[in-house]
Amino acid sequence: MSRGLVRGAVVAVLATGLAACGGGGGGGGQGDSKELTFWMYQDRTPQAGQVIEKVRQDFEKANPGVTVKLVKIPKDDYNTKLGSAVASKSAPDAGILDQPLVSKYALDGTIKEVPAGLISEADYYKGALDTNRAGGKLYGLPQDQTTVALFYNKKLVPTPPKTWDELKQVAARVHAADANVAGMNVPKGDGYGAWMFPGIVHGAGGEMVDDEGKKVLFDQPPAVEALQLWADLLKSSPRKITDSDKPFENGMAAMTISGPWDVPTIREQFPDLDFGVAPLPYKSEPAGNIGGEDSVVFSTSQNQDLAWKWLAFMSNAANNGAVADALGGFPVHLKAQAVAGGPEQAAFLEQLKVAHARPAVPQWIQVNDEIIAPAIESALSGKTTAQQALTDAAAKTRSLLGWNG
Amino acid sequence: MAAPVLERVAAGPGGRRARRRPGARRRDHLIGWLLVAPALVYFLVFLLYPALSALYYSFTDWNLRTEASWVGLANYADLLFDDVKYPHFWKSVGVTLQYTLVAVPLTLVSALVQALLLNAIRRGANVFRLLLFLPVVTAEAAVGAIWRWLYDPQYGLINTLLGLVGIPGQNWLNTPELVIPALAFIAAWQCGISMIIYLAGLKGIPGAIQEAAIIDGAGPWQRFWRVTFPMLRPTTFYLLVTGVIAALQVFGLVYVIFSGNGRSVTGGPEQSGLTYVLHLYLFAFRYDAMGAACAMSFILLVFIVIVTALQFRFVKQEAA
Repeated sequence: MSRGLVRGAVVAVLATGLAACGGGGGGGGQGDSKELTFWMYQDRTPQAGQVIEKVRQDFEKANPGVTVKLVKIPKDDYNTKLGSAVASKSAPDAGILDQPLVSKYALDGTIKEVPAGLISEADYYKGALDTNRAGGKLYGLPQDQTTVALFYNKKLVPTPPKTWDELKQVAARVHAADANVAGMNVPKGDGYGAWMFPGIVHGAGGEMVDDEGKKVLFDQPPAVEALQLWADLLKSSPRKITDSDKPFENGMAAMTISGPWDVPTIREQFPDLDFGVAPLPYKSEPAGNIGGEDSVVFSTSQNQDLAWKWLAFMSNAANNGAVADALGGFPVHLKAQAVAGGPEQAAFLEQLKVAHARPAVPQWIQVNDEIIAPAIESALSGKTTAQQALTDAAAKTRSLLGWNG
Repeated sequence: MAAPVLERVAAGPGGRRARRRPGARRRDHLIGWLLVAPALVYFLVFLLYPALSALYYSFTDWNLRTEASWVGLANYADLLFDDVKYPHFWKSVGVTLQYTLVAVPLTLVSALVQALLLNAIRRGANVFRLLLFLPVVTAEAAVGAIWRWLYDPQYGLINTLLGLVGIPGQNWLNTPELVIPALAFIAAWQCGISMIIYLAGLKGIPGAIQEAAIIDGAGPWQRFWRVTFPMLRPTTFYLLVTGVIAALQVFGLVYVIFSGNGRSVTGGPEQSGLTYVLHLYLFAFRYDAMGAACAMSFILLVFIVIVTALQFRFVKQEAA
């Protein structure tokens, strides 16, 4: 039959096949025991690159004969490349690892446990350190931590709302004053919206799953109320406005939820926008999400001691302030000095004090994307009620994870 | 045309067919193998080997990191019947079929119209051909950014144009029902390669046939339907088959359209843009299920084989 058919068929297979044997090329350090390969995200800014370069040189100076090779990979491709590298046995000695991946990689032995005595756990922020735990053991060191907070347009919102009720009132007032402006850029039912959702649930005193990771709790009242809050906000925040390109930056939405990484971008691209950042409004207790970068040592590394030394060096009191800032977050070491930032920094730091780590469930990304995100979307589009959407989602999650509760 | 020339060259100077000794024959074989070696090695290393390993992994539970464990047909059975493990598998099948049904005809029509126009103009054809081909060579990320702006619900050019004729603006990329048509329209805009192939097909229609039709008194409309279109049938068939195969595998387009602002790609509003290969990609690289992803790729392969065979059986392919 036609060549097109054969070619097409083979390409279909390649969608997975090639990817599986691609990647690679980044590992190394086997021959020369003094070279250490470290994978990280691509620099956010040239300045950030210089900061990391300086820390690298300091480490090499302190450890004569050691070369640290930094491999920088765009964040969007990072997990794919890393997965391929691990599959083809060419993982680096150490690297940054996305928080929800730590428990997965730990459970199948891809990464090593932190050796006893490397650090003193009391020196680190508990929330950030906890994102490295799996089965009670520590498998990595945090390098920075971050969180999301409420961005508000000062022209439209003179004082930021503190509670859910105030948030709804402010949003309604803004939209009533100008029908072309949305009160808030309400998160969507996609992977990103589902990631932000737990912070809102915690604000009503709830949790997504229990601490033991055995019970689904996001069909309980706090989560339902959190989702209802988003649904209510849509009345004063039509999607037709907020689905436009950069609605908050363009002054089309008075409020949005985002993280510190957006502050410099907005200042640079929208210098005229007068905005502030405040902790997330809450119902019964202040709360938020924790994000950031963890760093781990791969089991295939020939230089594990040296690799741990490098990770500890980056996260120590002297370096972590600068390193965390370069990575786009805040220090994880209690004694590290945060690089002084703009007026919005206080809000993020306050938010971090009450930030909660994501559920340490290995399949959480899939639950987040495939179950919670569609549930949020179906409630926000009005196809089901918040309660119904979350009850269904919780049932699906229980079957997927094999949980009873 | 080419074959006789080659034969003459092979036969040696003067066109005399020398009676060859067996050794020369073997040497010819060797040279032949050497000539196809690069293509053959490429095929074996980059196509056949990965395809066979993907087939093997489709029978395993594998997360890329640990050793794959054999599970037999479990991946296939779960994909088709277990909507707890794969809640959006059939949704992704539906989205992809819908996309194929809309995008392929739209692309063919758009390519044919462009080719006819290019074929008709005398001056500046090269410039227009270049312009119409540009969408094909534009980086996909840029295509995504441009079309997100064009479809913007507030400032988008598309809504502005619709407004001129009194049609209310739509929230194209965020309304589940409009996502597929919006994506298909982009595909039709990127039809440059099909357009070039149609153009070649048009040039291949002998002028004498068209002249005869004119002499017989056929108007332009009749000439198109009675002469041009039937003569283009082999071209249309080729474009249909390859177009369907490409549409069933659409990935890059949805990926760039729905991955703006650092958002994770979950396939647009209510999974309305969750195409088959995007779904496959998510399981392969985001949800740690490479074994299931390999099984998905084989289900797609079998489906493509069947669809293509049906087209060969039921679609007219000879020029008439």
